Amino acid sequence: MRFRYAMVCSSNQNRSMEAHFLLKRQGLDVASYGTGSHVKLPGPSAREPNVYDFGTPYKQMFDELRRKDPELYKRNGILQMLKRNLNVKLAPQRWQDNGGDGVFDVVMTFEEKVFDSVLEDLNNREQPLMKTILVMNLEVKDNHEEAAIGGRLALELCQEIEGNESWEDTIDDIVAGFEKQQRRKLVYSISFY
Amino acid sequence: MAAAASARAQALSLLAAANNHGDLAVKLSSLRQVKDLLLSLEPSLSAEIFPYLAELHSSPEILVRKSLLEIIEEVGLRMLDHSYVLVTVLLVLARDEDPLVAKKAISVGTAFYCSILEEMAMQFHHRGKVDRWFGELWTWMVNFKDVLFSTALEPGCVGVKVLALKFMETFILLFTPDASDPEKCFNEGSRQMFNISRLAGGHPILNSATLMSEANRTFGILLDLVQSAGRLPGALTITVVNCLAVVARKRPVHYNTVLSVLLDFHPKLETVKGCHAASVQYSIRTALLGFLRCTSSPMIESRDKLLRALRAMNAADVADQVLRQVDKLIRNNERAARENWSGKNNQAVNHQNSWDLSKKRILPQGEDDTVNGEVAPKRLRHNNNMHLSPQVQISDSPHRINGISSGNHPSDSEPTPVEQMVSMIGALLAEGDRGAASLEILISKLHPDMLADIVIISMKHLPSIPPTLTTSLATPADIVVSSSINPMRSPTRQPQLPFDSTLPFGSSLSDVPSLNAVVDPRRDPRRDPRRMDPRRSNPSVVPTSPPVGEGKETVPVQMDISTVASKPPLVPAVTVEASGSVNPRTVEHSQTKVMGSSVIRKIDQPDCREDLSPIPKEYVYLSKGKSSLDVPLSPCKDDEGIRKTKFDLDLGSVPDFNQHSPSESEPDFDLHPPADLNITTGEESYRELAPVPSFVELTPEQSRTVMKLALERIIESNRHVCGFDCNKIRMALIARLIAQIDAGNDVATILREHISADHREFKGHELVLHVLYHLHSMANLGTDESSSYATVYENFLIVVARSFLDTLPPFDKSFSRLFGEAPHLPDSAIKLLDELCSIRPDPIGGEAYDSERVTQGLGVVWSLILVRPNERKACLAIALNCSVHHEEDIRAKAIRLVTNKLYHLPYTSEQVEQFATDRLLTAVNSETDLSQTADGTKTESKSQITSTSDSPRSGNSDIHSQQDLQTSREVSVLSFSEVQRLISLFFALCKKKPSLLRLVFDVYGKAPKIVIQAFHRHMPILIRELGSSYIELLPIISDPPKGSENLLTLVLQILTQELAPSLDLIATVKHLYETKLKDVSILIPLLSSLTKDEVLPIFPPLLNLPPDKFQLALAHILQGSAHTGPALTPAEVLIAIHDVVPDKDGPTLKKITDACSACFEQRTVFTQQVLAKALGQMVDRTPLPLLFMRTVIQAIDAFPTLVDFVMGILSKLVSRQIWRLPKLWPGFLKCVSQTQPHSFPVLLELPMPQLESIMKKFPDLRPSLTAYANQPTIRASLPNSALSVLGLDNGQRSQMHPSDAASSIHGAALT
Repeated sequence: MRFRYAMVCSSNQNRSMEAHFLLKRQGLDVASYGTGSHVKLPGPSAREPNVYDFGTPYKQMFDELRRKDPELYKRNGILQMLKRNLNVKLAPQRWQDNGGDGVFDVVMTFEEKVFDSVLEDLNNREQPLMKTILVMNLEVKDNHEEAAIGGRLALELCQEIEGNESWEDTIDDIVAGFEKQQRRKLVYSISFY
Repeated sequence: MAAAASARAQALSLLAAANNHGDLAVKLSSLRQVKDLLLSLEPSLSAEIFPYLAELHSSPEILVRKSLLEIIEEVGLRMLDHSYVLVTVLLVLARDEDPLVAKKAISVGTAFYCSILEEMAMQFHHRGKVDRWFGELWTWMVNFKDVLFSTALEPGCVGVKVLALKFMETFILLFTPDASDPEKCFNEGSRQMFNISRLAGGHPILNSATLMSEANRTFGILLDLVQSAGRLPGALTITVVNCLAVVARKRPVHYNTVLSVLLDFHPKLETVKGCHAASVQYSIRTALLGFLRCTSSPMIESRDKLLRALRAMNAADVADQVLRQVDKLIRNNERAARENWSGKNNQAVNHQNSWDLSKKRILPQGEDDTVNGEVAPKRLRHNNNMHLSPQVQISDSPHRINGISSGNHPSDSEPTPVEQMVSMIGALLAEGDRGAASLEILISKLHPDMLADIVIISMKHLPSIPPTLTTSLATPADIVVSSSINPMRSPTRQPQLPFDSTLPFGSSLSDVPSLNAVVDPRRDPRRDPRRMDPRRSNPSVVPTSPPVGEGKETVPVQMDISTVASKPPLVPAVTVEASGSVNPRTVEHSQTKVMGSSVIRKIDQPDCREDLSPIPKEYVYLSKGKSSLDVPLSPCKDDEGIRKTKFDLDLGSVPDFNQHSPSESEPDFDLHPPADLNITTGEESYRELAPVPSFVELTPEQSRTVMKLALERIIESNRHVCGFDCNKIRMALIARLIAQIDAGNDVATILREHISADHREFKGHELVLHVLYHLHSMANLGTDESSSYATVYENFLIVVARSFLDTLPPFDKSFSRLFGEAPHLPDSAIKLLDELCSIRPDPIGGEAYDSERVTQGLGVVWSLILVRPNERKACLAIALNCSVHHEEDIRAKAIRLVTNKLYHLPYTSEQVEQFATDRLLTAVNSETDLSQTADGTKTESKSQITSTSDSPRSGNSDIHSQQDLQTSREVSVLSFSEVQRLISLFFALCKKKPSLLRLVFDVYGKAPKIVIQAFHRHMPILIRELGSSYIELLPIISDPPKGSENLLTLVLQILTQELAPSLDLIATVKHLYETKLKDVSILIPLLSSLTKDEVLPIFPPLLNLPPDKFQLALAHILQGSAHTGPALTPAEVLIAIHDVVPDKDGPTLKKITDACSACFEQRTVFTQQVLAKALGQMVDRTPLPLLFMRTVIQAIDAFPTLVDFVMGILSKLVSRQIWRLPKLWPGFLKCVSQTQPHSFPVLLELPMPQLESIMKKFPDLRPSLTAYANQPTIRASLPNSALSVLGLDNGQRSQMHPSDAASSIHGAALT
């Protein structure tokens, strides 16, 4: 367990939590975050999402939604997702507000917008530590099926990186190899703490 | 105190565990404890432990090294003033082979770098001075920086390089003036990052001008890296891009440059292996988006450009979104500002100014604009930032041509980079002379764009009447202004004019040496953004006459050009000038050198070809009919362009031409011949250009003169322009010119001054190497001219090298670098080196000077041996010959080099050893050789030569060794100093390899006296320096060659002089004594360490030694060693001496008595008590020692007070019937006779026959003895026989009678 990983999506519910769950199960040192301004979960209609603040425990959301409409939220998989999440950690965390969580080695994002936010946030911080951080973006659609695939790919990637003494020397080849094998686009960048 | 000592001891033992323990876990936990301990101790106490801590850096365990770094980070930063030792560790570990360790070291080192910098600045700010320890620490930090810079640029682990690049970014940020308010500095509580703008002037360690220029250079390096992205791994390119983005965002000075580089970044990365193109592209996108988010003025102004670029990257949505966010943010801020300061304060308005220009469509207009209009003219008077928004400026020339200058917007709240620079120049000037020097450096290092902007800004301050140029420099603005004043007389002038066009060169340039730098790049036509403008497709520009009413200044230039156009031979001349400076004088000047220039063109073409090809863009515009002649014409065309005000909005977004591309100044050379009007594409155009349009035959002299003039001019211009890469082309030119001219000396003299003056900055060095490589490659082409090139090469190298020696101080590394990096060293260079090392050019000259030169020469020799295998043998020969040099000083230095460095190299050690051996033998054989025939001498000398130098290159060595041999033979007997000269090296080598000493032992026996004397002189020094490694001598000691006994003894003496001999040594020597060498004298030095049991058996042979040696031995025995005490006490020594029985093989009686006497001479050692003790013991011996009585007599002679004790002895002897021992009896008698009257009681104890014989023998005794015995008390106790012997028989009675009677009388009377 040499590197520390962060999985980041926009609400810290689906994609990042799926990956968090998988990596954690494999014994990797991992955390997860969202970059949106709020945590949004689908509601009865597209116009009526359930909006929570970051920091609201998954358990609370779970209870609330189960009370509201257990049928609906079971059908769209939200309850199952929340149940998984509350077993992983307490509450969704916002990336930008948790700079104090310590130093990560690798950050995986699952959406370009999130990738940009993470990079921008890192750039806005002071960078006195001279410690590199690898930020990678893998585009994953925000639904359960894609999240499952994305989580698996993220795990594979992280394991491959973990196998390297110094990822800086091999990252180009890893990314290119991944793209070739999985036929998915992957972009990376390097920032500093 | 005690606590500190115990803590120290504890720390040391923990460190020892961390170093030596087998278990890694123990090592690490020990280290943790050390850390806690160090943190708990006083800094000064902790500092004592630092050196031991630092030793861990060589630990083979990665984790230990890493932990060490963590300790350094935690402990060292807390006690910077003691951290000197730790910092050196960082330097080493930053190059660690393990990336993890190296990375950690870089990160810790950077923290140190920043802390030290901050601390230094803070101290100076508060106290006006800086502690001295900072100086050294800072030197190490500068080294650290150099290490990281080279790490960043050399091949290696990407992860480490990434961090090194990050360090470069930090470096740039630290030393590029910060736009934010310089006032808020040290007093604020939060520890802000250091910035150079906060550094007060006159800092004793930090020179802001140099640091700033270095930051600029570093920035240039990063830019170069981006441009060479095709060759880098993707991770590195991304890092560089990100770093540049950070720099641009935090230091707007660099923003435009970075932006243009990033926008122009289109490498074909797909083809590069190990580079993920999409990620690299994305990093650009991220950077641009980041810029879009910034609200400082240059970024706001380049918004359109950014948006266009982002759209091209399919990031329009994101960009728009970001824009919306930013605008929202700005509006919110504005509102807040307005509410807070209720309009009365100008600041809010001004604040807004910073972005109003480019955001008119967004921002509410009206009142802001009017305010702006009102405020601006005021600022015109007050501020330095005179480049106002175009609306306010004079209507004729509202806009600047260049993107950068339009980027400088007035805003009081946020000074633009240019303003900062101007104020910094002002600050430097305020410092007086010292500042002026820094200023010169600063200006010469400034980005040309920046300089130009500064000049232009400063021009706004022009007084209506030009001041005289000779006035003193009052303000920074004045400097620049005074040089640019003339062209600006007319207010309608646009700023792109060549400022110096009307200036007398000498007068103003002497004040502002870098003026050309200001002018040059700006005149470059390609920098004119309108060239990029497709609308400018007017093909017939060539002889456009300037519009009426334009400045007069352009006219002369214009005139020249037209004449040039009509006179083809002139064209190349003008083009050459274009790369330097265009001024009337130059143009005139150039006419005298036309032909030379055409030659230059020819030479330079190959170079142009390769440089031109990567920039086809240029040709696209050319192909649209743009005349190449617009270089000289640019002034008037600029004017023309200015009138096209409708383009102005675009100007800001026209990409800035990259200043740093190597091809920068090149096209100027080739684009000008009229032929290229028909050009269509890049490569083809070049081929068409290749033929020189016209050619005039010159006589060789003429051409040489012309070339020399050209060379001078290039060098002259070189001095003033110091862009990042503009030197490259000049170097190429100069190299080719020199190759052509083939006039070694005079060319070199031209160059010499330049090179050595500039060498410190490494530019000169680069130039020289460039020239050398060029010449070398020419020489190796194999053409007919090769040999002449070789000569030129050789001459050039030698002249440059000599000039270094003549002008630079000995400690300067230039000479060494030159020889180390030159492509090839001819024999003459080796000879020069040899002279430098061994010949003193001027005996009158100062000694110190010369000896430093020798050091320098030897240093060069050493480095050449390391890096130039081809010259190794020759250099080795130089070093070796110096090591037997007549001058002791040179010899000592060379010997140090040879023994400490060369002898350790596997490829030289053998030769060194052979050489030293030969010299030694030369000295030893000097006398024997003399007796030999001449033939013998010859053969030997031959063999020596072949053995020392088997390389054809080491001719010097041959000569020298022959000389050595000759001298050794000519002088019948070598002088002592001569012997010293020959053998010093060998003895020095022995220090490194003690086994060599065997040879000395071998030859010792046959060596002449003088040589032996020299051996004896060297030996003690050598043995002492060997210290504990004398063990290696044991084999020699155990089997010394014949004839070397004296030497052996000497060695043993020295070995035992200060330290107790080891058991090994004792055993060896004893064994030697027992088996081979029966001479006991070799044991003498060891005696003090021998035990009693060991000494006693060898006592007889010791006694047999000559007296002086015995004395020595005696001293050793009695001295003993510190541990065991003396082997024998003095009393035991005496007894031992007496126990020796004289015999034929052993010591004679005489020797034994001598030994006794020797003991008695040492009255302080053999005291009364000692004697008494010894005698007391001996008297009980059976048989009595032979010399016993003799010693008794001597004892009583020496210490008369012993008499009572002696009487006791004598009486014992009587009881032992001494008269039966014939050898002792006479002694007894003698003693008795000598000690009378004390001996009387003893005498009387003797049996009668003996007493009687004594009386006969010593008749003198009788009367006194009789008298004694006759005393009543004694007489009573004596037997009658005794009395009768004494003749008291009768008398006794008669004599006794009265007493008896008396007693009876008394008795009777009583009774």
